[in-house]
Amino acid sequence: MPADPARSYKWVTVVCSLVSLLFLIAAAVRENISADWRAHQADFRAILEAKSKDAAGRAAARRLPIEIRQVTVPALHAVDRCVSCHLGIDDPRMADQPNPHRTHPKRLLAIHRVEKFGCTVCHQGQGAALSFQEAKAEDYFWDYPLLPAALTEATCASCHNPRALPAGSADKLVLGMALFEQKGCNACHKLDGKGGPLGPALNNVGLKTKHQFVRANLKGSQTTWNWLAEHFRDPAGIVAGSLMPSPALSQPQVEALTIFMLSLRARDLPAEYLAPDKIDEQYARLHPPAPDGAALFHRYCAACHDTGLYSRWDKKFQRFVPGIRNAAFIRTEDDECLGENIREGRPGTRMPGWGPKAGGLSEAEVAALVAYLRTSAPAMPLPPAPAHGDAHRGGTLFFQECAGCHGVDGKGLIAPALANPVFQRAATDAFIAQTVRLGRENTPMPAFGRAGFSETDIGDLLAFIRGWQPPARSQQP
Amino acid sequence: MPDNPKRRDLLGLAALWSAVAAMGTALAGVMRLPKPAVLPGPLRIYKLGDPAQFAVGSATRMEAGGFYLFRGEEGFHAISSTCTHLGCVVALNEGEGFACPCHGSRFRTDGSVSAGPAPAALPWLEIALSPDGQLQVNAETQVPKGTRFRV
Amino acid sequence: MTPAKEFLENLKRTPQNLRESMLRNGKAPESDRERSQSTFHNFFLHLQSVRVHRHSLRFGYTFGLGLILTASFVVLTFTGILLMVYYKPGAELAYDSVKDIHFVVPAGRFIRNIHRWAAHLMVLAVFLHMARVFYTGSYKRPREFNWVVGLGLLVFTLGLSFTGYLLPWDQLAYWAITIGANIANSPREVTDAIGITVWFDPGRFQKQLLLGANYVGQEALIRFYVLHVAVLPLALTALMGVHFWRVRKDGGLSRDESLPAPPARIGDADVAVFAPNKTYGLMAVVRGRTPEVDRAPEGTVASWPNLMWAEMAAFLFTIAVTLVLGYFFDAPLKEMANPAIPENPAKAPWYFLGLQELVSYSAFMGGVGIPTIVLVGLGLIPYLDRDPRGVGVWFGGPAGRRTFWQSLAYGLLSVLALLVFTVNFGWLRAWFPAIPQIAIIVVNPATVIVALYAAWSLWVLRRTASIRLSAVALFTCFLAGFIVLTAMGSIFRGPNWHFYWWPSQWPTH
Repeated sequence: MPADPARSYKWVTVVCSLVSLLFLIAAAVRENISADWRAHQADFRAILEAKSKDAAGRAAARRLPIEIRQVTVPALHAVDRCVSCHLGIDDPRMADQPNPHRTHPKRLLAIHRVEKFGCTVCHQGQGAALSFQEAKAEDYFWDYPLLPAALTEATCASCHNPRALPAGSADKLVLGMALFEQKGCNACHKLDGKGGPLGPALNNVGLKTKHQFVRANLKGSQTTWNWLAEHFRDPAGIVAGSLMPSPALSQPQVEALTIFMLSLRARDLPAEYLAPDKIDEQYARLHPPAPDGAALFHRYCAACHDTGLYSRWDKKFQRFVPGIRNAAFIRTEDDECLGENIREGRPGTRMPGWGPKAGGLSEAEVAALVAYLRTSAPAMPLPPAPAHGDAHRGGTLFFQECAGCHGVDGKGLIAPALANPVFQRAATDAFIAQTVRLGRENTPMPAFGRAGFSETDIGDLLAFIRGWQPPARSQQP
Repeated sequence: MPDNPKRRDLLGLAALWSAVAAMGTALAGVMRLPKPAVLPGPLRIYKLGDPAQFAVGSATRMEAGGFYLFRGEEGFHAISSTCTHLGCVVALNEGEGFACPCHGSRFRTDGSVSAGPAPAALPWLEIALSPDGQLQVNAETQVPKGTRFRV
Repeated sequence: MTPAKEFLENLKRTPQNLRESMLRNGKAPESDRERSQSTFHNFFLHLQSVRVHRHSLRFGYTFGLGLILTASFVVLTFTGILLMVYYKPGAELAYDSVKDIHFVVPAGRFIRNIHRWAAHLMVLAVFLHMARVFYTGSYKRPREFNWVVGLGLLVFTLGLSFTGYLLPWDQLAYWAITIGANIANSPREVTDAIGITVWFDPGRFQKQLLLGANYVGQEALIRFYVLHVAVLPLALTALMGVHFWRVRKDGGLSRDESLPAPPARIGDADVAVFAPNKTYGLMAVVRGRTPEVDRAPEGTVASWPNLMWAEMAAFLFTIAVTLVLGYFFDAPLKEMANPAIPENPAKAPWYFLGLQELVSYSAFMGGVGIPTIVLVGLGLIPYLDRDPRGVGVWFGGPAGRRTFWQSLAYGLLSVLALLVFTVNFGWLRAWFPAIPQIAIIVVNPATVIVALYAAWSLWVLRRTASIRLSAVALFTCFLAGFIVLTAMGSIFRGPNWHFYWWPSQWPTH
């Protein structure tokens, strides 16, 4: 009797069928019996039954179906299944229960009804998921993982003006906003179109995903908030070569700034979700009140110029930052010249332009800044400059006396650049001549007038310096 | 004739029936798929706010919820505005009752059928007070006619 | 019999009549004759011949690859239809609907995983099946055209895979399809280089045909969806029908006709064979009063049940493999597609990563030029190699086996050497920054490797004077190149398409 030709195939069929059967049953068990949310709902049912005061309540609790629950909020494009485990979230009787059964803290859901808001609009996370790990969605393919409880204040700003909220609601966020202004972050970072160009603009930082941050040096949790916090602690440790100073922040300050960064999110929310104070805040941004020069100086200038009373050596920039509130300086500059410098900046240096087209300050704000600088000293009528002399001789003088600080090509070393278009345009001959004569108090610029420079020497120097670019504004007192 | 017919048959039968069992189980699992595990759309439980805002004797149409809310001397009741015939939306004519525009069914003010093809009365819906003190109508749950909710 | 009685009688017998009319034979067959009839008369079974050669049932010859392919297509069709119940082909909806399939649809996650794994299995099997057919010389006369049909099936299979890749609308999908669409656009590289794009722009035409726009968006999604669920499955099914039909009409599976035939079997007994000395179409050989009672055509056994057991085994094997893989490994689903954040690296499915490696040298050559050369070359094989010897023999005999191993070594070494060189020293543009693009299109690692392989194959042709051996050499070289380049693209390329020894070395970016 020859062997059955199909024998081996029958064996394969038996084995494969049994394997298939096994895994089908395993998959059915995994999905229908051992899911976490089923256990949580069974627990909740028991708690509800224990808390019921009468037989009807107990019967109702026992009838509570075990099923997937979800909050659908079409206006927010949200389908949040968090309530499949957090069944007691809006039930005040569950305040004494452990998570996931506990009532939402602070009675917040009384004013933010779950049916209207869902969960993820405030907490982020993957609302569609049915297990905690997938809902939390850290290290998961999801753009906005669950915010840690300590940082949840950040999302209040989506609908509220945080400063208009009652005390105790968003204190850390308000602190972060204040720190942002105090620490002069705007000097380098644009926000809503205003600020310096040195660092990245911060609009919608809260909507960025972790893939938009360079995380090569980030240890630990790869979330955006961990990146922000670590970056506030040590900017150059996270972004190699960063010019951002280490601001020496305490842990609560780091947290507050992180929350503020996460709150920067322009979400396209329906108007019915916006609090009136949020609309007021947006209105105020378009119609700003009269600008306050001191606050503007603090917010946009102080990060580099410090108090502005003295020039200071900046290690990161490797040059002197002029003391722009120095009375000796302010006395020699007229308002027009100050305004021009603020509007245009100093191309080629770290000083950016702050006019409406660059740093985003309005003309009114520039004027307020000039007025604030002017408080140091009134503009002094300058003695007239000598007539331009021999540029060749002026060049020789320049190389001997000036090039050491201002650079042989006038591009500036530790002292400001003179071969700079804005300087050439803004500075009058009278201003240059007076500065050479009297020097600049509280800076390394000596008074050459007292060191034996004659008016002819100064005329020759002027001719040489003006050789870099013809003056835009000719002789004016 | 085969030497050992029993054994070969056994293997073949085992293979056949294990395959049938596996495919049957797979089919059973697959047949579960089309039935949704959770119904899409917003929850059909409507919180209507403070009960005091509804005057005694008022009838309020809740378009989103698909029901009418009545407040009488004896308390609140809610009647579904979905026709029991084929699902059109009935209109409340003051004092006459409900009328369905699709096939001419008529209902009295308590929801019972007065004319037309509708096979059953308009259902009364469950009303409760939510844990945070709002009037809450559960459009998924029916209550017997005449059940009133007192605040 | 009164009409009323007759009516009742008929009503009573309806179940039995229904069954008999449905099955034609009316019951499970018990004899060889009935089995033959069942095979012959049943719509689903008539695809098989009534008797099948023992050789065709040998696992070591076919590895059941054709059956596994068919089975995985059936699995894909079933799971695909189930997924269509919940999938929503809209740019705003697709991702969420796939998430819902993953999280809440009953058995949805499992079914999607099975669909993905069956797709991988099908692509793998289609490559292996082609290699098996090639190395056993099964493409030779009279099976040349079925080889071409098979190539069509390969293209449709890859097309199904590619179109299905976009549907989840996640980052992986979005960027892989963006790359794919720009490969369709890559003839522009050539037309730009010779300056005729203004008049003749096939790249743009192809890209817009594929995407319905200049970017991957809603229009592209619906096009890919239609291709994936309707056009390509129908085309594949039709071509599969032709493929099966030709397998039978071209004489069943190929076998070495020079070997003595094994005995045939009727019932449970081996019987003498008759060798037909004239050609005729054999409809059925059954026990009974026929000219050749108790004798069967050489080496055959009844298809029912022997072939059917093989089919059953392959089908259940496919199901078991996809179930086990689907149970343990979820189909990937990354973040929702975001045109602002490129995926880095943006990798296509594994079987395209060899091409993606070539594309990283020249989009046109890697994405259009070389695939076209390969497909045309493959299609020409049976028409260039007309030598009827060696059909049904692995590699056509010892000489072919030797050529295979030599070519494998040559193919692996040359592509590895070229990759090592390119990774370490770069290519033309690294040395001559101003070099015109046309030079890079013509001379790049992709064209060099093709030239090296062609040279080797020509050398084999000269040395052995055998087209068959030369074809074995070329096919093997390309197989080696495909494997190495695929591994290169899958494993050794990381962010910015830089070389890394292992994905764990990738920098976080």
